Amino acid sequence: MAKWRWLEQVTDQEQVVRLNILEKVPLFAGLSRRQLGKLLVKFFEKEYGSGETIFNEGEPGKALFVILAGSVSICRALNEGEELLAKLSAGGYFGELALIDDQPRFASVRATEASRLLILYRSDFEDLMEGQRALAIQVMGNLLKTLAGYVRRAQSPRNGRNSTIVGQAAASDNPEMNSKSVSRD
Amino acid sequence: MPPPSIIWALAIAVVALLVYVSQDFVLLLLLSATVAYLINPIVKVAESAMIKRKVAVATIYLGIGAALLATAYFVFPHLRAEVNALSGNLPFFSQRFDEAVDAIQNEIAANYPAAGGLFSTREVRYEKLNSFIEHQIADVPLLLSHLASIVLAAVLIPFFSYFFLRDSRRITKFVLDRLPPGHIETTVAVWCEIDRTVGRYLRGLAIEGIVVGVLAALGLAILGINYPLLLGVVTGCANVVPYLGPIIGGAAAVLVALVQFKSLSVIIQVVVLYLSLKLLDLLAIQPLAVGKGNDLHPVLLIASIIVGGHALGIVGMVIAVPMVTIVQRIATLLFERHRQRAHVPDSHRNGGVPSHPYVC
Repeated sequence: MAKWRWLEQVTDQEQVVRLNILEKVPLFAGLSRRQLGKLLVKFFEKEYGSGETIFNEGEPGKALFVILAGSVSICRALNEGEELLAKLSAGGYFGELALIDDQPRFASVRATEASRLLILYRSDFEDLMEGQRALAIQVMGNLLKTLAGYVRRAQSPRNGRNSTIVGQAAASDNPEMNSKSVSRD
Repeated sequence: MPPPSIIWALAIAVVALLVYVSQDFVLLLLLSATVAYLINPIVKVAESAMIKRKVAVATIYLGIGAALLATAYFVFPHLRAEVNALSGNLPFFSQRFDEAVDAIQNEIAANYPAAGGLFSTREVRYEKLNSFIEHQIADVPLLLSHLASIVLAAVLIPFFSYFFLRDSRRITKFVLDRLPPGHIETTVAVWCEIDRTVGRYLRGLAIEGIVVGVLAALGLAILGINYPLLLGVVTGCANVVPYLGPIIGGAAAVLVALVQFKSLSVIIQVVVLYLSLKLLDLLAIQPLAVGKGNDLHPVLLIASIIVGGHALGIVGMVIAVPMVTIVQRIATLLFERHRQRAHVPDSHRNGGVPSHPYVC
C-alpha cells in the first residue's frame, strides 16, 4: 500500500486526466499509454472563453486541436450567413489536416462555452515521425482512415455538395465519438 | 487590447533595454536557459511517464549533482596534477618555447634552405613573445576581479535553470492564455521552432564537445603529448565556438607539443590528429549530434559569429548561430503566414464548395 501511495505522490494527476482524454481520441486509437505519454508532452494547452474564435477560415493551418473540456462549433461562411458543419465536445479534435499540408483552413472554429484545448504543432508531430516511427505510423493510419471517411461521404450520392464533415476521425468506426460530438446537416 | 504590432514593439524595446542596462544579467539568463535546454529532454521523458515535473526536475538535479561529484572525485585529481605541472613549468615556458622554435627553424632550414630567409631573428621573436606575455599578465587582475562574478554565476545558473525547467510549462500556458486567439497558431509555431532550433543546437554542441574532447585527449595521450586531459578539456570546450574553436584547441596542443618535443614531425602528427578530428566531427559526430540543426548560408554563419563575438564575447559566438537561425525561421513563418493569407482559394472566398472534401 505504501508503495502505491508513494507512486500517487509522484504522479502528475493533471497529466493523467489529459492522457485519459487523449486515449479516447480516435486519431490516437491503437496507441499504448506509453506512446500517448510521449505524444502528450508535445502538446500545448490553452483556455478559450465562450464565443472566442479559435481560428478563422482562410488562415494558415499549422496545428491540430484536441478538446480537453468544453465544446466548439465549426462553421463555414456562405454567401448569406454561415453554415454549421459540426459541434464537437471533450475528446473531439479538429484541424488535423494541418498535420499533413500547408493549406489554409476551410472553416472557422469557435468555442461555444469556456473550453480547454490541447494544441499540437505540425513540426513537433514531424519530429515524432523521425524519432517514434511506430507511433507516427499508427497516427497516420488513423488519419488516413479519417480521410477515407471524408472521401466516401463526399462521394456518397445521398450527401451531395453538403458532404463536408469536420474533425472526427473514423467517425463511422467509433459510434461513441460519433454520437457524442459530431452533428452535421 | 492594443494591436499586436505595438505589443511586439514594446516587448522588443523592453528586451533591448534589459540587454543595454544589464548585459551580465542577460548573459546569466542565457546561460541558465542553455543549461535548462540541455536537461529538458530528460525532464520530458519523465513527464511522458506521468511523473510530476517538479519531482522529475529535483531528481535530475540530484542525479547531476551526484554525477558531478563522482567526476570531481575520479577525474579532478588527474586534471589538477596536470594544471599544477603546467603552472610549475610556466616560468620556463618562454625559454623552452624559444629553444623549440629555434630547433624547428633549424630543422626546416636544413631540409629547405630557401625557407631559411623567412624566419625572424631570435631578438625580434623574443620581443614579440615578451610583449604578448606581458599583455596577458596585465589581464590577470581583471580576471581575478571577475572571480566573484564567476562564483556567483556558478550558484545562480543552476538556480535559475532549475526554475526555468520546473515552471516552463506553466510559463508557456500563462503566455498562451493571454495571447489573442488569432495569433495562437503562429505563436505556437514560432515557439516550437525556437525550442527545436535552440534545443537541438545546444544539445548537439554539448555532445559534440564531449566526444571531440575525449577523442582529442585519447589521441594526444597516444602521441605521448603532455597534459592530454587538460588539452582534451580545452579542445572540447573550445569546440563549441564554431570555426574558431577547433583552431584554438589545435593551437594549444601544437604549442605544448612544440615545447615538449622541439620536433617538426610531432607537430605534424598533432596537426594531422586535429584535422582528422575535424573531419570526423564534420562527417559523423555533427550529423548525429546536431542533425539538421541549422541551415544558414556560410557567409551569414561567419558574419553572425563575428557580430556575436563583438557583442557578448565567447558566449556571443556560441549563441550567434542559433539566434540567427531563430530569426530566419521566424521570418520564414511570418512570411508564409502573410503569403497564405494573401492567397486564399477563390472557391473559399465566395463560399463555394472547396476543392477538398474536408474543411479544416
